[in-house]
Amino acid sequence: MQIKRGIAVSPGVVTGEVLVLGTEDFRIPNRFVSIDAVESELGRFRNTLEAVWEEIEENERLARDELGDQFGAIFGAHLQMARDPKLLAEIEGLISENSLSPEYASSRVLRRFARELQNLGNHYHAERAVDIFDLEKRILRHLLGERREELVHLTAPVVVLAHNLTPSETANLDRNFVMGFATEVGGHTSHTAILAGALEIPAVVGLGHCLADVSGGEMVIIDGNHGEVILDPDEATLAKYRVLEERVHSVSERLASLKSLPAETLDGTSITLLGNIEFPEEAEVCRNRGAGGIGLYRTEFLYLEQDLVPSEEDHYEAYLKVIAADPLHPVTIRTLDIGADKVPDSLGELAPDQVNPQLGLRSVRLSLRNIPLFKIQLRAILRAAVEGDVRVMFPLVSNLLELRQARMILGDVMDDLEEQKLPFRRDVPVGIMVEVPAAVMLAEEFAREVDFFSIGTNDLIQYTLAVDRADPSVSDLYRSGDPSILRLIRAVISAAAKYDVAVTVCGQMSSDPVFIPLLVGMGVRQFSSTPHAIPELKEVIRNLTIEQAEQIAAHAQSLDLARDVENYLRGELNRICPDLVL
Amino acid sequence: MTQTAQQTVRVGLEQGLHMVPCSLIVRTAERFSCEIQIQKADRSADAKTMLDLLTLSAENGNVLVLEARGAEAGEAVEALARLFESNFVDPASGSKPATGSDR
Repeated sequence: MQIKRGIAVSPGVVTGEVLVLGTEDFRIPNRFVSIDAVESELGRFRNTLEAVWEEIEENERLARDELGDQFGAIFGAHLQMARDPKLLAEIEGLISENSLSPEYASSRVLRRFARELQNLGNHYHAERAVDIFDLEKRILRHLLGERREELVHLTAPVVVLAHNLTPSETANLDRNFVMGFATEVGGHTSHTAILAGALEIPAVVGLGHCLADVSGGEMVIIDGNHGEVILDPDEATLAKYRVLEERVHSVSERLASLKSLPAETLDGTSITLLGNIEFPEEAEVCRNRGAGGIGLYRTEFLYLEQDLVPSEEDHYEAYLKVIAADPLHPVTIRTLDIGADKVPDSLGELAPDQVNPQLGLRSVRLSLRNIPLFKIQLRAILRAAVEGDVRVMFPLVSNLLELRQARMILGDVMDDLEEQKLPFRRDVPVGIMVEVPAAVMLAEEFAREVDFFSIGTNDLIQYTLAVDRADPSVSDLYRSGDPSILRLIRAVISAAAKYDVAVTVCGQMSSDPVFIPLLVGMGVRQFSSTPHAIPELKEVIRNLTIEQAEQIAAHAQSLDLARDVENYLRGELNRICPDLVL
Repeated sequence: MTQTAQQTVRVGLEQGLHMVPCSLIVRTAERFSCEIQIQKADRSADAKTMLDLLTLSAENGNVLVLEARGAEAGEAVEALARLFESNFVDPASGSKPATGSDR
């Protein structure tokens, strides 16, 4: 039994058989297979061989046709090698007798031959080792390629363990069969983490190297509450987690019943709970969780999902879909926030390799330098605004000029649409993400020129504390409860209040029940969080009075260490809602 | 009594017995059901196994012994000997086989 610690990104606890995914460079995911898997693994190996033979034959045909017989003959030789009965017998022997996985067995046998050739001393024969490595790669590509496709063709419940998951892989995880996942890399606010929350399955990222310690099919526990992954747990641990899983299940059932109840404090103050989404499909999830609207629609996934830059119609259709899920509630659309960990291929040339992507050409800066691209999105937003309560929001605004330029372009777009006689709304509320410390310092100046603020705590914490939120080596320095952050939030709230500007808090901080009493006590009345957190946040609010919240906020702001703030808040949450503190 | 046959041959290829000639040997040997071995000094390789043949590392000028046991042993040895004598001109193309390093 091994316990690995990582970053908890989606809560819940699950126990199950692990499916290990390899990485692109053909790292062997597991060395052994369980005895009962041997037959199916042999089958998988033989299927792979068929595919490999077909592939080489095709190559031979092409080579003969295009380059001539002598080149075709090389592939012919490769085919002979791939059909070599001794080679295959040896590999299959290792699988059936020693329970080696096909990947490991193939690799071992082929590499041994390669080594033998290399040791022969004859230059030419040593080079032939390259042919053998080629065959190894071909076989592994098929064996592992099959595995990655397995994500879409699962037939039994599994817990997925991988080096990393791409956004589309994460988004396409079959919720019927993938009960949870864990990855070696990834941070708190990486797209994988965000999507995990949307999927509502337990997930832990940033585990560090652990794939080599796991064999496919082993039992694994994913504890998304504490950020732990337990490999091959012993009986006692299994029992303990079974109990925990049941408890979590009954709590979540109770929370689900809150859906139709209002998010109101004990003394009748109404709080608005909104949802964050990446894909239009998630808008439905938000509605089902009782969200009062979409507080943050991260539109960059429109760019990530495809190779080409999305057209105005692509944007428009996506926005309509979101509105349609809940037409009476507001939808706040954030313009392109590309950069850092999300640069898509289609925009590659516009945002060249940056040394410091977090501080580089991204978000509204990128949009302002690529006005035609910006206009496409703005046009779609203004047109979609006819069908619902749409608001537009600019990310990473760091000075007033950027805001004014963006508004000017918005104005130009309105004039264009008017000229073209296309229906749109002129009075779309305009707001900014407050996530750069500079914007906080000038909060009053900004408040005069916008309709609303959304405090982006993820980036605000990163820029204020100078901590890379995707870097596991400093993840313990990234603290939402840092006194400096609380002070900045307070500054934004009081500036906004002066000019009657609504403030929403979004980001991980607003998805964590622990911070709700504090933020409500500081004056926040709108939260936008991951949909699955909404019932929990509602529970906290319904057990809170404003007076209580203000006291908690006052005390928390008197503490000078993040650790103390967080401990205090956790203690308070325990008094208010003990069930939520697991 | 099992048939056996034997013949000595010489490698007349500059690059020695590289991948393409090896594959021709395998293709030819596979046609026969008898057991076929190729010996170089004290090493023996199964003529139906590519990897065995490659590791034999037969170079230009090496003398090899072809040995077959079983049905059609004589024919098998003869067919292989012909390959060596013709320096592995690929019967399909009639041209000399390219070396593996040309891709």
